[in-house]
Amino acid sequence: MTQAAAPVLDLSTCDKEPIRTPGSIQPHGFLLTLAADLTVLQASANLGDWSGVAAGDAIGRPLADVIGAAAAQRIAPELAAGLGPRPLYVGTIATGTGRHVDVLAHHWDGVTIAEFEAVDRAEPADFRNLYPLIGDFLLKVNDTGSIESLARLACQHVRSVTGFGRVLVYRFDTDGHGHVMAEARDERCHSYMGQRFPAADIPAEARELYMLSRIRLIRDATYTPSALVPPLNPATGKANDLSFAALRSVSPVHLQYMRNMNTLASMSVSLVVKGKLWGLISCHNEGPAAVAFDKRTACEQLGQILALCIESREDAAELQFRLEVRRTMVSMLAGLTQGSDFIENLANVFPDLLRFARAAGVAIVVDDRILTYGDTPDQDDIRSLVDWLAQHDRGDVFHTDKLSALYAPAEHMIRNASGLLAMPISRIHKHYLLWFRPEYVHTIEWAGNPHAKEATPGAPAQLSPRTSFAAWRETIHGTSQPWHGGEIELALEFRTALLGIALERAEQMAELAEELGRANKELEAFSYSVSHDLRAPLRHIVGFADLLLESAGSEDGQQRQRFLKNIKDAARLAGKLVDDLLSFSQMGRASLHPTTVDMNDLVAACLDKLVLETRGRNIEWDIGPLPTVWADPTFLHLALVNLLSNAVKFTGQRDPAVIRVSAEDHPAETVFHVADNGAGFNMEYVHKLFGVFQRLHRMEDFQGTGIGLANVRRIVERHNGRVWARSVQGESATFSFALPKQTNL
Amino acid sequence: MLKPILLVEDNPNDLELTLIALSKSQLANQVIIVRDGAEALDYLHRRGEYAARPAGNPAVVLLDLKLPKVDGLEVLREIRSTDGLKPLPVVMLTSSREEQDLVRSYELGVNAYVVKPVDFAEFVRAIADLGIFWAVLNEPPPGSQRYVKPGK
Repeated sequence: MTQAAAPVLDLSTCDKEPIRTPGSIQPHGFLLTLAADLTVLQASANLGDWSGVAAGDAIGRPLADVIGAAAAQRIAPELAAGLGPRPLYVGTIATGTGRHVDVLAHHWDGVTIAEFEAVDRAEPADFRNLYPLIGDFLLKVNDTGSIESLARLACQHVRSVTGFGRVLVYRFDTDGHGHVMAEARDERCHSYMGQRFPAADIPAEARELYMLSRIRLIRDATYTPSALVPPLNPATGKANDLSFAALRSVSPVHLQYMRNMNTLASMSVSLVVKGKLWGLISCHNEGPAAVAFDKRTACEQLGQILALCIESREDAAELQFRLEVRRTMVSMLAGLTQGSDFIENLANVFPDLLRFARAAGVAIVVDDRILTYGDTPDQDDIRSLVDWLAQHDRGDVFHTDKLSALYAPAEHMIRNASGLLAMPISRIHKHYLLWFRPEYVHTIEWAGNPHAKEATPGAPAQLSPRTSFAAWRETIHGTSQPWHGGEIELALEFRTALLGIALERAEQMAELAEELGRANKELEAFSYSVSHDLRAPLRHIVGFADLLLESAGSEDGQQRQRFLKNIKDAARLAGKLVDDLLSFSQMGRASLHPTTVDMNDLVAACLDKLVLETRGRNIEWDIGPLPTVWADPTFLHLALVNLLSNAVKFTGQRDPAVIRVSAEDHPAETVFHVADNGAGFNMEYVHKLFGVFQRLHRMEDFQGTGIGLANVRRIVERHNGRVWARSVQGESATFSFALPKQTNL
Repeated sequence: MLKPILLVEDNPNDLELTLIALSKSQLANQVIIVRDGAEALDYLHRRGEYAARPAGNPAVVLLDLKLPKVDGLEVLREIRSTDGLKPLPVVMLTSSREEQDLVRSYELGVNAYVVKPVDFAEFVRAIADLGIFWAVLNEPPPGSQRYVKPGK
């Protein structure tokens, strides 16, 4: 055991171990740090074993003195070229003691770090051997579907390159635990497949280093580290940062961990997906194993290709998943706009709601009304849960896969409500949409107990990483399948859409209330008018009939004639009133059938209809070019006839009468004017003009029931337009209406 | 001289029937006819085409409820809020028994509210009663002069 050589550590400082600056290297090679002129600044203590020059003697001397002139001359040009922080292969040379080493060099921490790593060949590394390997992997990658099978493929390739007994891929879950998802192994090695390694096995600093330096080899866990001489980097005055050095000595904790695992050689290749340490390709061998730089490079590249594949597969899977959830959401939203009751609409899409969040139960909570579907807790439990949520949520989507850990009463709802996704659907009221996921009882096989990384009882106080790797089973209770990030995001999106629908609904309600209010007012005006205006002609008929009876036999034939005429007029007026009232009430009820209407045609049709009223009159019609509009032609015809007939009526005293119809185009609406040079009206009473049974003139001056303009207003307003009128009394009147262009009639 | 009765009525048939009824009631008061609310106010305020009429209020205003331009209730409101006109007796004549009109009329201080009966004889009786009460019998408020035809 080399335990004695290792600093005494305890677990709590594990994260603080100086893994980047260990001050020593693994002794299967030697290391020199060089100044720009290739003077040796530092050497590993084992230099003498390789070159015959003791480390202490090498300091301050030119490189050629230490590794021989020929070797130095071969690698000098490469060393002089711009080196980066990643080790570069600069050649294979023979050392003073006749052993062959690959020379790797990188520039870091103010010095050139030259590593001389023992190889069992004299010739230079031949990277051409790698291409078929990579090519083969790439070829198979395209035919491989799942990430698991890709990882297995990578394991097989890495194993065939390195000859390690076991190669596995493990991925880190959100908690940092590693899960072995693929493996290739010699049958003598036992399998780690499916097992989990606790997050604590890899300290945070080690994870960081895995991100920086994508490959790391430990050739023999029983090695004795070889310290740098002198220990401090003369360029910085501190211990050398060996983050990128291939020979970097690793933490004694890790070495013991390896020995406990019965593994003397290990190699890790980082799998970095989207800038995060996704997992590792981890290689173990029972005995020491040498993997030369060229082979390591091959493994590193395999790792990069695997990471890229994982990234694209994960992206595709994520996209597919979100697409599916979104599809469900869209179909739900379509269902939600069907009926008028929002809650019932939601209840109608219950199956979609379940599918949307892959839940087993769903509940809609609107105040005291609770609608459930699928497997949910009972109503009282839901009610209490909502009370708790109302106090704790921040108006956002709330989710947990272990409700009982946050909300103690959920203890007895574990069966169907271990997982909860809760979505407030009102900012004011306690309205929620809740999705429940049942308990997902599952067993995790830990490679060692994750809750107890302590040393064996009675072991010395110094650090002793995991001593047992025998699988340890843990059954997980009270949790559900975790909620997917996409589900949470789309739930938020769904919520926004719901609030949008609710808002739209509220607007519709307000509109409806307004509409109802107006209809109600009209109805009141209607019944009021019926009782006044319809009664008047009846009274007149009776009145004049009584007078006729009374005057029977009297000689005033002229008076009798007038009474009879009055009766006839009153009866006719009563009939017209009934007709007008009926058409007015129909106007409010009949549905619109809008279409494209050519206003030129419509005006022409109106004029045809007015032929009786215009007969014998001298009227100058000035009909401007008119556009087309989107409207119900029948209704619009009625409105125009009313306006034109009014114009004809009120110009009765004019010779000639001039009636002009014109249009104005505005961005949002089209405005029409019907102007005449007739009697006009007093602008003081313009507000009464469009009311039912409002007349601004004496009956005998201008006949009418007082419904015409009310009809015009009603028709135009049903087209979401507006009406208004201007007049100079005794000179002219202009009635105008505007129809919106963008209208959802 | 007997103060006139102001009849505000737009409907020609109603006008004719009311005039017949008034003549049947044998009232000697002159009847001034105006055809809408605006005209009634012009008369009462002695403005517009009535600017030159002799001063003095009518004995009573028979006011139709539904009138063009300014309706009966508006005329009533104006009368009750104008100093010189406040005490003027106003009788609202209307076609219907609409509760809201009745309430509004009394709120505005109408002196009587008469629903024109459909039966003409009844109508004559109603008008005659009104005329006698308001134009003849009723003690007019200060400012109006009662004139009783000599010999009657």
